Parts: sequence; structure tokens; C-alpha cells
Amino acid sequence: MQKTALIVEDEFPIALDLQTLLEAHGWRVIGPAATNASALRLLEDELPSVALLDVNLGSELVAPVAAALRARQVPFAVASAYEKPERFGGEVLAGAPNAGKPVSEWRLLAALAQAMEL
Amino acid sequence: MHMEDLYRLLRASDVQAQGIVDTVPDPMLVLDQALCVQGASRSFFETFKVDRFETIGQPLFELGNGQWDIPDLRRLLDEVIPKSSAIIDYKVEQNFPDLGRRTMLLTARTLYHPDNSSHSLLLSIVDATERYRQDAAKDMLFDELRHRMKNLLAVAQSIAQHTATEGRSAEEYRDDFLGRFGALAEAQDLAFSGEAETAVKALAERILAPYGDAERIVIECGAPAELSSRTISSLGLVLHELATNAAKYGALSQQGGQVRITCDADDANNRLRIQWVESGGPPVKAPARTSFGTRLIESTITYSLGGQVKLDYAQSGLQAEIVIPLGSAAPPD
Repeated sequence: MQKTALIVEDEFPIALDLQTLLEAHGWRVIGPAATNASALRLLEDELPSVALLDVNLGSELVAPVAAALRARQVPFAVASAYEKPERFGGEVLAGAPNAGKPVSEWRLLAALAQAMEL
Repeated sequence: MHMEDLYRLLRASDVQAQGIVDTVPDPMLVLDQALCVQGASRSFFETFKVDRFETIGQPLFELGNGQWDIPDLRRLLDEVIPKSSAIIDYKVEQNFPDLGRRTMLLTARTLYHPDNSSHSLLLSIVDATERYRQDAAKDMLFDELRHRMKNLLAVAQSIAQHTATEGRSAEEYRDDFLGRFGALAEAQDLAFSGEAETAVKALAERILAPYGDAERIVIECGAPAELSSRTISSLGLVLHELATNAAKYGALSQQGGQVRITCDADDANNRLRIQWVESGGPPVKAPARTSFGTRLIESTITYSLGGQVKLDYAQSGLQAEIVIPLGSAAPPD
């Protein structure tokens, strides 16, 4: 079955980059979503195999989406420039693999794989 | 005077302790075996706003309504001190009724009297609250700067990845990429310059500067709108795309063409409207397919900034209308 990934990232160029990378590796991308509200709406329609979250979405933090994913037992990784994303985005992000920023192909795939094994 | 020196002095001679204790710049207490205060430095009285009368002779843990009755300090004095001769910079945090929450560094040293078997205790208390607060603020700032820098690199990486290569020479690719990269750098520079109040106008001026003088490019901005650094760098990319398109195909591609940029914020400063109107250029028609540049314009405004954009390829010249939410209105949803 084709693996699916929800991307939550508020900056269009970065979201596009993540999407292009994943699609080139055979993933189907859900979103990308720029806000908590739109990500939560997407989750109502379909649960992805894994999610990739930016921590800081402009004027809001991604914590509500992370909590919703935890509640639905969907694994997630973060793609954040912060060294310790939980310090900014809340405890709900603790322990999630971080693909970092700018993202590199192998780091991104490794973080998603790690999230799905946790 | 260092505590070490004072310690040696007090051990070696029977000089008046109080005079020496007063030379110590930090708050300091001399305690007897029962942890009653025998002496205190002047700065102890000043820092903790207490007087000599209510301090000297009192048990440490009863001072100032028990404000020194700190579990960590008790443990330090009851358990640690008897086993070791000195404790240096032991950190305790405590709420002081008059001072609020403070972070203290405690240094303690046992003093044995040679003529009898009794001993005293020197306890110095450094209020490190401000130092810790500044350190934490610096850490936050450093994290934020690093975050912005990495984000900027991520945007640059994406632009390098998606700038068109098909049917383009290496030189053309390089010029397209460097144009976008330059816009990113200009916007970033402005975002850090503290000119936030005139940001839209300043941004338009900077991005458009390479494309013509004030006769060819007219920028009229009404009420200044304050923009976040994220909005500034996003808008910088958008204005650059509009400008480079105008220079290649639109009003700035021939003599006599003009671009007029107007921007205004609504009364509540919740919405910024930017209009881009080209005139005097060659006849315009809509592009056959959506380029990355057009996607960059449209998606940056709608996706990144939660706004609306309308591109009208009017015969007389391209007209773009951009509306983005500001402040608490951003991002909408």
C-alpha cells in the first residue's frame, strides 16, 4: 500500500520542497497544510501513515495537531530549525524525531522511518 | 576580598571579624554551631532589606519570618557542610516575600577555632537572579536567530530546487536563481533593520531599485503597516517575481512603460492591500502555463500569508491585487 504523509509547514517554498522530495520517493502527500485548523480538517478526512510537522506556524504553534495525532496514534516527525522543538512547541513534541532544517533527503526519510518504528 | 582570604585571616588571627566581613561586597553571614547569626555583612542588610537588630543573634531559619527556611539550604547546612569543609556556588531558588523569586548562589565554609573545639560557618549569598535571567534571554535570542537563519536557508534551498531548468541555459538558471536569492537577502536585511513601520514602502523600494528610477516605478504607500519578519521576506519574494516579470515581458521591458504600486492598510490595521498596475508596455496575454514564478506569487500570498491575490492580464498591462491579513488577523482560517 502506498505510504501517506501529512505535511504541516507554513512557508510555501519549504512545504513544496518537502512535498516534492516525498513524492519522488513514492509517498502520497496529504496537504500540505499551513495552519492547525486546515491540518485538523485534513485529519478528519483521512489519517496518514505518518505526519511531518513544522513547529512554528507563523503566529501559532503546531501543538494542537501533534496532540490530535497522538490521540489517533498517528506517528509524527518534526522538521524544525529548533534544536529542542519541545522547548518551543510544547511537551507533546518531546521524543519526536527531527528531520531538521533545511531538510536533506536522507535525513527526512530517516526521521519518518524512525517515527513509524517508535 | 575573597572568601578564601577571609577564611585564612579569621583562622590565623583574632582580628575583629565584623570589620572584615563588612569589606565583602556580597551578602555574607557568620553563623555559630547552632546556626544562629553571629555577624552579617553590610550588603546582607542592604540586599535583603533587614536591619542588624532583627538579624544578629537570631537563628538563621527564623530570620525574616522564616524566609531563609529553604529545604535546599537546610540540607546543605545540616548534611553537606559537616562532611566537607567548603561548598562553592550552590544554587538555590526561593520566593522572598519582599524580593520575589530569586536565584541564589551559596558558598559556605566551616571555620574551626584553634583554642576550643567550637566552629563557625561563613555563608556568602550571591543574588544571581539577574545573571540567570540574562543568560536565559540570551539563549532565547540565540535560538531564535539560529531558527531564522535555518529557515532562510531552507527557503533558499527550495528556490534553488524549483527555479526552472527545463529549456534554460546554466547562465539563465543562475540569473533567475540569484534574482530570487537577492530579493530574499534584501527582505531579510530589512526585517532586521528595525524599520518595521515603513516596511511595505521600504521593501518595495529595495526590491524594485534595480529595475528603474522613480519615473518608471511609482510607489505610493498610505498608512504604514507593521509587518512581521516572516511577512516581509514572503512579500519580498512576491514583489521580486512581479518586477522580474515586468522587466522580461511587461511594462519595464520597453521605454515609456511604468509600474505603479499602491499600498494601504485598513483602519484597524488588520488588512494590507497592495496594488500593482503596469502600463505603457507591450500588449499582455496570460501565460500558457503556470511557471514556478507565478506559483511563488500565488502560493506565497494564499498559502504562506493566508491572503488573496488576483492576477489580471489586462491588455494594457498586468494588474495584481494582493490582500493579506495583518497582526492578530494573520493567519486566517
